Amino acid sequence: MKSISRRSLLRLALGGGILAGGAVIYKQTESVGLDKWMRWMLRGQTARLNPPARVALASVASYDDDVLSAIRTLWRDANAPDLANARVVLKPNLVDSIPERPCYTMPQVTEALIQFLRDEIQVKALVVAEGMTFRRDPHAILIETGYREMLERQRVEFVDLNYDDLVKIPLRGGYAKMDSLFMARTVAEADALISIPKLKTHHWTKISGSIKNLFGIVPGAKYGFPKNTLHMHGIDAFLAELLDSLPTPKRFALVDGIVGLQGDGPLFGAPVPSGALIGGQDFLAVDATAARLMGFDPTTIEILAFMAWAGLGQIDVNRIQVRGAALNELKRNYELAPTL
Amino acid sequence: MSRALDFLRASQNADGGWGYKTGGMSFVEPTSAALLALTIDAQAASHVQRARAFLKSIQRADGGWGIAAPDDASGWMTAWAVWALAASEANDAARRGVDWLLESAGIRVTDPNQVAHVQKTLRIDARITGWSWQPNDAAWIFPTALSLLALDAVNVREHPRVREGIQYLLDRAIPTGGWNIGNPFMVSGNLPPTVENTSLALMALRAFDIENEITVRAQKYLARENFTVTAFEWAWRAWYWKKMDAPTKGAHAALETLQRADGSWDGNPFTTAIALMSVK
Repeated sequence: MKSISRRSLLRLALGGGILAGGAVIYKQTESVGLDKWMRWMLRGQTARLNPPARVALASVASYDDDVLSAIRTLWRDANAPDLANARVVLKPNLVDSIPERPCYTMPQVTEALIQFLRDEIQVKALVVAEGMTFRRDPHAILIETGYREMLERQRVEFVDLNYDDLVKIPLRGGYAKMDSLFMARTVAEADALISIPKLKTHHWTKISGSIKNLFGIVPGAKYGFPKNTLHMHGIDAFLAELLDSLPTPKRFALVDGIVGLQGDGPLFGAPVPSGALIGGQDFLAVDATAARLMGFDPTTIEILAFMAWAGLGQIDVNRIQVRGAALNELKRNYELAPTL
Repeated sequence: MSRALDFLRASQNADGGWGYKTGGMSFVEPTSAALLALTIDAQAASHVQRARAFLKSIQRADGGWGIAAPDDASGWMTAWAVWALAASEANDAARRGVDWLLESAGIRVTDPNQVAHVQKTLRIDARITGWSWQPNDAAWIFPTALSLLALDAVNVREHPRVREGIQYLLDRAIPTGGWNIGNPFMVSGNLPPTVENTSLALMALRAFDIENEITVRAQKYLARENFTVTAFEWAWRAWYWKKMDAPTKGAHAALETLQRADGSWDGNPFTTAIALMSVK
C-alpha cells in the first residue's frame, strides 16, 4: 500500500481544519444566517478604516448655568452637521416624571438647543417630539417636567410620536428578524433627528443613552405601552435595527449629563451631579463616551459591543477623538442598575 | 356637549374614520371611540354609517383589525372595533372579531423556574395571561380590560378566556390601589397607577360584577384630588364614574374649563370621544 506523503498529510490537515472552522462558524451563526453574520463582521472590520469619530464634552455644573454657551461650543467641537434650512426633530427622553427621580431630559437643555438651532444655526423648522413609554397621554408629563411651559415660551410644537401618522420604513440590518417597521411620519420625513437622552443606568441595557432613546420614535399605538412587542425581538437586536435604519439623513446626539441617574434606572435611580453635556454625530461613540464618563468600560456593555462589532459606530477609545472638557475630570462612578 | 359633538362630526375624515388629531390618519381606536360616542347623536346618523363602513373595510381576513389601514397585522384595536360595531349594530364583522379575540392571548409562562423568577422580580403570577397589544407579546392591562369590555358587549361572559382575563386584572393590581400598564412592581418598588389603565380595568371588572378590596382601593385612587390636571385624565375618570352611576358633576365642571373653543379636548377626537361618553 502506498504511504501518504508528508505534504499530502499537511494538505489534508489544513483542509480538515478549514472545514472544521467553517462548521463551527456555521453553527455559531445558524440563528442569524451566515450571510448576515459575514456582512456585519465585514462592515465591522471595515469601520476600523473609517476616520475616527468626534465626540465633544462640555462642563456645565448646573441647569441654572449658561447651557446655551456650552451647547454653542460643544456643537463646534463635535463637528456637528450643517442644519441650516433643515427640518429638525428634537427627541428628548420624557419616559415619565417621578418626583425626585431625574429620569428625563431637563427642559433647560432642550430649550437652549432650540434657541441655538433657531437663532444661530437658522434651521428651517423644528419640533420637539416624543412617544412616551408608560402613559398613553403626554400632557401630564409635559406639565410635570416643565416642558409645556418651555414649549409655550419658545412657541415650539410638541408632536406625540405615539399617535402620529404612520410610515412603514424598510429595516436594513436583519438583526431583529423584521423586514419593516412603522415609524412616526414626523421623524421619517425630517432632515435631521437630534437625540437628547438623559445620562442614566438601565436595568436591561446597563446604560440608557442616545441609542436607547430612539425607542421613543416608534409609535406606541402600534407597538403598545411600553413597546414591549419590540423588546420581544431582543432589545440589542432591535436597537441595532433602529440605528442602522434611521431614515433621517442627518443626526446628532446631545446627552443631558448635568445631573445623571444611577442605580435603579431607567425610572427610580438616584441623582448624580455629573456636570456634563456630551455630543456627537456617531451615536455609538457618544454612548461609549457616556459609559466611560459613568465609570463603565463600553466594551463590556453587550449592546454597545455588538453594535461596534457590526460596524454601526466606534467604541474603541483610540477611534474616538474627544474634544472640549476633559473626560477624567467629569468622570463619576455610577452604580449599576439591578438586573431583572 | 353640543360643541363637542360638532367637533367630532367635523373632524371625521373622508374615509369615514377619525385620527388622534384633526386631519390625521384614521385609526381604529379613535374611530371606534367616536362611533360609541356618536350613537346617541341623532344628527350623526350618516357619520355613524360611514364610520361603520370604514371599520368593516379594514377588517382583516383573520377577523381582527390592525391599528389603521396600512397595518397588516391584527392586534389590540380589534377589541375597540368589536365593541363599537356590536354596540351600534349586530353584525358578522363583530362576530368574526370576537373569534379573533378568543383565539388570541398574551404569552403564558409555564416553566416553574421562570414563574418563580417573575414572581420575585415583578410580583405577578406569570401563569395567568390576558390580552397583549400585539401577537407574541406579554399581556398588558389596557388591551386586557378593553377585550373584556368588548366581549361583554357581545354577551360573551362565561368563556374561559374571560375568566382568565378577570384573574389577570386582579393579579396585576397595585397593592396600594389602581393599575400601572402591566406588572404592579418592578425590582425595588411598586409602580405608580395610571388613570386610563385604572379606569378601564375598573370598568371591565364592573361589567363582570367584580367588586372587592382591589376595586375599592382603585376607586380611591381615581377619587384622589392631587393629580396633574389634564383633559385626558378627567375624561377617563368621568367616563368611569358615569358607568358607575357615580356623581360626575365635579369632573364635568373640570372638563368644561379644559374644553377648547373648537369644542374639542386637546384637539384630539379620541380624548373628545372619551369625554363625551361621560355625559351620554
